[in-house]
Amino acid sequence: MSEEEKKFLEIVDLKKGFGSGQTRQEVLRGMNFSVAKGEFCVLLGPSGSGKSTLLNIIGGIDNADSGYININGDKLEDMSEKKLTQYRRKHLGYVFQMYNLIGNLNVKENIEVGAYLSDNALDIDDLLHTLGLYEHRYKLPNQLSGGQQQRVSIGRAIVKNPDILLCDEPTGALDYNTSKEILKLIEEVNQKYGNTIIMVTHNEAIKNMADHVIKLRDGAVRHNDINTNKVSAEDLEW
Amino acid sequence: MKKIKNPLIRRIPKELIGDWKKYLVVFLFLVLTIGFVSGMYVANESMITSANEGVTKYKQEDGHFELKKQADATLLSAIETGEKADFKATKTTLYENFFRNEEEDYNNDGKKDGTIRVFAKTKDINLACMLQGSFPQKADEIAIDRMHADNVGIKVGDTVTVSGETYKVVGLLAYVNYSTLHEKTTDLMFDALKFDVAMVTQDGFDRLHKSIHYTYAWKYETEPADEAGEKTSSDNFMRALLTQVVVADNELEDYTPKYGNPAINFATDDMGSDKAMGGVLLDILVVIIAFIFAVTISNTIAKESSAIGTLRASGYTKGELVRHYLSMPVIVTLLAAIVGNILGYTVFKNIVVSMYYNSYSLPTYYTIWNPDAFFKTTVVPVILMLVVNLIVIVRMMQHTPLQFLRHDLKKTKNKKAMRLPGWSFFGRFRLRIMFQNVTNYLILFVGIFFIMVMLAMAVGMPDTLDYYKSNTDGMMFAKYQYVLKSYEDDDNKRITTENKDAEKFNMTSLVKKSDVLDEEISVYGIADNSNYVKIKKLSSLKKNEVYISTSFADKYGLTVGDTVSLDEKYENKSYKFKVAGFYDKSQSLALFMSIDNYGKVFDLKENEFSGFLSDSRITDIDEENIATTITIRDITKMADQLDHSMGSYMNYFQILCILLAAVMIYLLTKLIIEKNENAISMTKILGYENKEIASLYLLSTSIVVVIADLISVILGTLVMAAAWRMMLFSYSGWFTFRVTPIGYAKMFGFVLIGYLIVMVFDFQRIKKIPMDQALKNVE
Repeated sequence: MSEEEKKFLEIVDLKKGFGSGQTRQEVLRGMNFSVAKGEFCVLLGPSGSGKSTLLNIIGGIDNADSGYININGDKLEDMSEKKLTQYRRKHLGYVFQMYNLIGNLNVKENIEVGAYLSDNALDIDDLLHTLGLYEHRYKLPNQLSGGQQQRVSIGRAIVKNPDILLCDEPTGALDYNTSKEILKLIEEVNQKYGNTIIMVTHNEAIKNMADHVIKLRDGAVRHNDINTNKVSAEDLEW
Repeated sequence: MKKIKNPLIRRIPKELIGDWKKYLVVFLFLVLTIGFVSGMYVANESMITSANEGVTKYKQEDGHFELKKQADATLLSAIETGEKADFKATKTTLYENFFRNEEEDYNNDGKKDGTIRVFAKTKDINLACMLQGSFPQKADEIAIDRMHADNVGIKVGDTVTVSGETYKVVGLLAYVNYSTLHEKTTDLMFDALKFDVAMVTQDGFDRLHKSIHYTYAWKYETEPADEAGEKTSSDNFMRALLTQVVVADNELEDYTPKYGNPAINFATDDMGSDKAMGGVLLDILVVIIAFIFAVTISNTIAKESSAIGTLRASGYTKGELVRHYLSMPVIVTLLAAIVGNILGYTVFKNIVVSMYYNSYSLPTYYTIWNPDAFFKTTVVPVILMLVVNLIVIVRMMQHTPLQFLRHDLKKTKNKKAMRLPGWSFFGRFRLRIMFQNVTNYLILFVGIFFIMVMLAMAVGMPDTLDYYKSNTDGMMFAKYQYVLKSYEDDDNKRITTENKDAEKFNMTSLVKKSDVLDEEISVYGIADNSNYVKIKKLSSLKKNEVYISTSFADKYGLTVGDTVSLDEKYENKSYKFKVAGFYDKSQSLALFMSIDNYGKVFDLKENEFSGFLSDSRITDIDEENIATTITIRDITKMADQLDHSMGSYMNYFQILCILLAAVMIYLLTKLIIEKNENAISMTKILGYENKEIASLYLLSTSIVVVIADLISVILGTLVMAAAWRMMLFSYSGWFTFRVTPIGYAKMFGFVLIGYLIVMVFDFQRIKKIPMDQALKNVE
């Protein structure tokens, strides 16, 4: 792997706070780390550690107060709102804890919502098979279970074959078995399509399936470890 | 992979099907409005075009004048060339257009049903379009106005009695100079019921006995280029004409250039103003619908906030989402405009045409393509819909993806809950619902207000006409006003009558000039201690002091002590009168002075008078000596005609207003309920009954509707009264817009009926909200 690939995503002295005066709260206090291309990186930390804020800044939907993010040579801070939108469109996929699907579009159409954004979209039927949703492709979101809906949201994010897939607590609203199903899917996607995955979670167990684990506390990186004893999602226990 | 179409497009048909009731209501509402306005535009334009083409085809006059005596060839030649004028007069060609005003008895029961103006058949000027049957060929054949015939039920083949002579109706026609049946140029309204125009052969004309009106129509040698040119040509012509007539020892009885002839212009002007009014009505309704759409979309965006946040985070641009949310109102409007226009050119055009044929005597027409109608009923509604929604959607889309994801779309942050008075829990709950839906309620109020303006017209017009008709007796100071051609007959003997009711009076018409119109004012000279016009101290007033009718005072805002300046119609002479008081027993615009003062002001010879006032019919004066008789019919004919041509439509209009109110309230209350579906569902889970929930959510809206209804009744009436004043100000005559207490109750009740219909649907909607709605997290 080249130096550039190792520093595919580079975060440099990133700071972010909310409020002003006495009520000001620093959420990110000068954060530094980098993520390699194709890596499965987990951002771990308790509530209020700044992990979601960090993910939002990486995703270009929030701004840092200082510092910068460099993705594959492009500095997000230098981009106008329009360019940021184009950047997200071409390079990023988003999965949230809530599935945020469009209620009156069926499974396939919800995935097509993502495919439309890409000139190089994945084959939707193939993807539906990968997601285990092919039989359900004509169902509306309210006819699906929570796990199935989250699969659809992953499908919508991955179908455009983004360079980076950002997942914000994707299993936060799911039970144990369904969570494992989703994690297996994300693992499979990572392996099959080679996307860089950054996943925010407070579930310690998930770190075991990641290539790279970054632990946050009080807006700073407390641990930045490369996981050499990676296990498959199947073997995770919590 | 092939680039796929934006999948969001697929939401549109699904949304349409999913919420078909709402879209169907909006669609039908727009289709009907657009269709009717389109039909109005197409019908107007087609009919105006054929009317304009008729000007040449049927040799319409450029104007006409009436002389007291028949003019000889020398006078006619002088008038045509203007040779005796001391300036360059307008050259014209003159045509005889003599007529007699006879009594029409169309049901042959021996009683007079109205006045029929009979012309002899001519090929030179003011020809008629034969709509049914044929032109008269024999002395006992007559062709009458088609509209009058329709209105009173005369058919080809029937017989009518004209001043005792029987004629067979062989044709129904439309004279090119009588597109509306205005008997006099000063008539505020035409009278298709009691006034008729007819054509007979010369022999048929000679069978009649009433005095001949020596009317000459003229055509300009050089066609004036525009309206200003027409006015200049007419002014020059009239100046010269007055000189010629005086030199020839004749008298000018009437002078009417084409532009001042309501019988020629009223229909086309009215169609033009109908078009303008229809256009404004359409714009207002489209804007209301656009706001309803905007509020709906605004709610949808708030509801779909997380999905929008995700889409924006995934790279969807603001523009793509704006276009997506904008497409629904634009598509619905465009479809409605297309269907509306198709109906406009087919169904509605015919309705409008039949409405116009019911009021106007127009020649046959053919439908023409109307780009104006397309612009006004397709392009403008779509643009209005687009602009209103664009503003709202763009404003909504200014939020960041993160704000969408967090449902943080409120403008004011950290808003504290408003403290409410210590009412019951239900009372406070309702108040919260009202505050939550302030925008919806504001739109509801604006909508109800506009509907109320229309209702004020639909209810107020019949009320006004009823009041006017039922009070006419009190407004007529004498049942008959006989205006003589002269106070002496052909043998220079003073005209007298044995009738005991008869009382001499003087009368003339002066003109009150204003920027809007030159209006005729009747000036009366009344005998001392008159039995008819009872004004105390009238005889003790100074020479230029007068009483004026309350209508006159009301129209021109005159008060006691004001000075009124009036001008002679055909002479350059002005008079100034000081208002000494008001007389309320006259509906017309009139001014009263003593008969002595009248003589002094107008330099009359001793004992010269204009005619007789009488409560009974005078039978001992030769018809030849009577210029005109003003009866109660002259006062009520405008109200009768308005009632006939618009009265029945007002009932339909009232129903339309109820439906409009129902549609608008339905759309807005639907939004309010949808917005609160989760809360309603949750209250059901907590154990509230449907009735209790309805009392929370429906009663809040009911309170707002009742308050908006009450306020709008007052505001709507005020606006309509102001519009009525503005409208009547440009017409001659005056009567005040009135709404009776029952009328107010009707206006209030009609909107309430609309609401009650909707409430039934809303209650059903509340009943149908499932309990698991609140537990779902799917958007």
